[in-house]
Amino acid sequence: MNFRVFFKSIKFAFRAKVRVLAFILIYAILFIIVSKGLTNDPGQWLTYVGMAFIVATIYAVLISQFRRRDVSIFKCIGWDNNNVMLLMVGEVVLVSLSAFLVVFQVSIEIIGFIGYFGASALLTSIQDLLYVSPSSMAVTLFVIIGTQLPGLLISMYRAMKIPPMRALREE
Amino acid sequence: MAGPIIQLEEVNKEYGKGKNTVAAMKDVNIEISAGEFVAVLGPSGCGKSTLLHVMSGLEAPSSGRVLVDAVDVTLISERDMPKVRAQKIGFVFQQFLLVEHLTAYENIEAVLWPREDITKIEQEERTLSVLREVDMLERRDHFPKQLSGGEQQRVAIARALVNDPPILFCDEPTGNLDSKTGENILKIIAQLNREKNMTVVLVTHNHDIAKFAKRTLNMKDGVIR
Repeated sequence: MNFRVFFKSIKFAFRAKVRVLAFILIYAILFIIVSKGLTNDPGQWLTYVGMAFIVATIYAVLISQFRRRDVSIFKCIGWDNNNVMLLMVGEVVLVSLSAFLVVFQVSIEIIGFIGYFGASALLTSIQDLLYVSPSSMAVTLFVIIGTQLPGLLISMYRAMKIPPMRALREE
Repeated sequence: MAGPIIQLEEVNKEYGKGKNTVAAMKDVNIEISAGEFVAVLGPSGCGKSTLLHVMSGLEAPSSGRVLVDAVDVTLISERDMPKVRAQKIGFVFQQFLLVEHLTAYENIEAVLWPREDITKIEQEERTLSVLREVDMLERRDHFPKQLSGGEQQRVAIARALVNDPPILFCDEPTGNLDSKTGENILKIIAQLNREKNMTVVLVTHNHDIAKFAKRTLNMKDGVIR
């Protein structure tokens, strides 16, 4: 793996601010829903895993759609499919890890606020709504990564199939 | 005189199937020597851009042989073609084709990112050097949208040069520029041909632009005349 391309692709992904921030938020919400679902309603685990799978797949397909022009330009200037695929991986990694960190930080802040101000009704309801325990966070991260893989493969396949000529034809 | 760096033998390119087949190139034979500056001149839709795409391996011909720097690009797999493009060919397109979310500097350096044989420092030095060559050093941190058409085309030229390829393909490089900016771009291209002995193939519909070239090939209805 070319780590330079990988790290550049993460930096590059962050430039698409609106898309990336929107999906970090969506992933953070997904993280909380899946995590709470797996903890509070383990009998319905398939529903939550399925939900994570659908969101991850939609996102992966969207990335390859949004990145069509960039991918074909990179191919024109001599990038091979392995490097192009790292573009997809970079964005998915950025969004997944950022969402994980957002939920992690929010959970720590909630614990901190409760410790400092005491368990008021407001803080307790926020805790019920947003707090994710470290153990379920670890399980959910594992689930999200797992459900991400098929979508990632789809987006990588779609990116591989983009001809370098596409950018020229579209403009 | 140097041997041909680009050679096309009985090349045909057709689009569509059956009754809808359109021949974009018909039995094209061309030899271009290393260090030449060749203009392919013809009206819109005559197949000159297709010729450039076939020469550069962006599109496969329907039949015939295309040799670029002694490599038969028609025999190279789609998987290996990017390597050939990266080593031997630089492109300058009418639409500039810069990546919007990368700065001018990054658009150029991106060509080198996959090159594990070049250190990070050398990649940076090369990028700065070509930026200096096209006089865009001061605008290196600007995004394409913050640059004028002429500046974007300079960045595109720098991007084409950063790998130090022996061949430069230009597809209507001044098509989206005003005449004065276009002339400056052509002067840069002519200078590269003169000073670096770079082989330049430029397609255009404009006779004035073709005057910058040392040899002109006229194309009409997919045929070189």
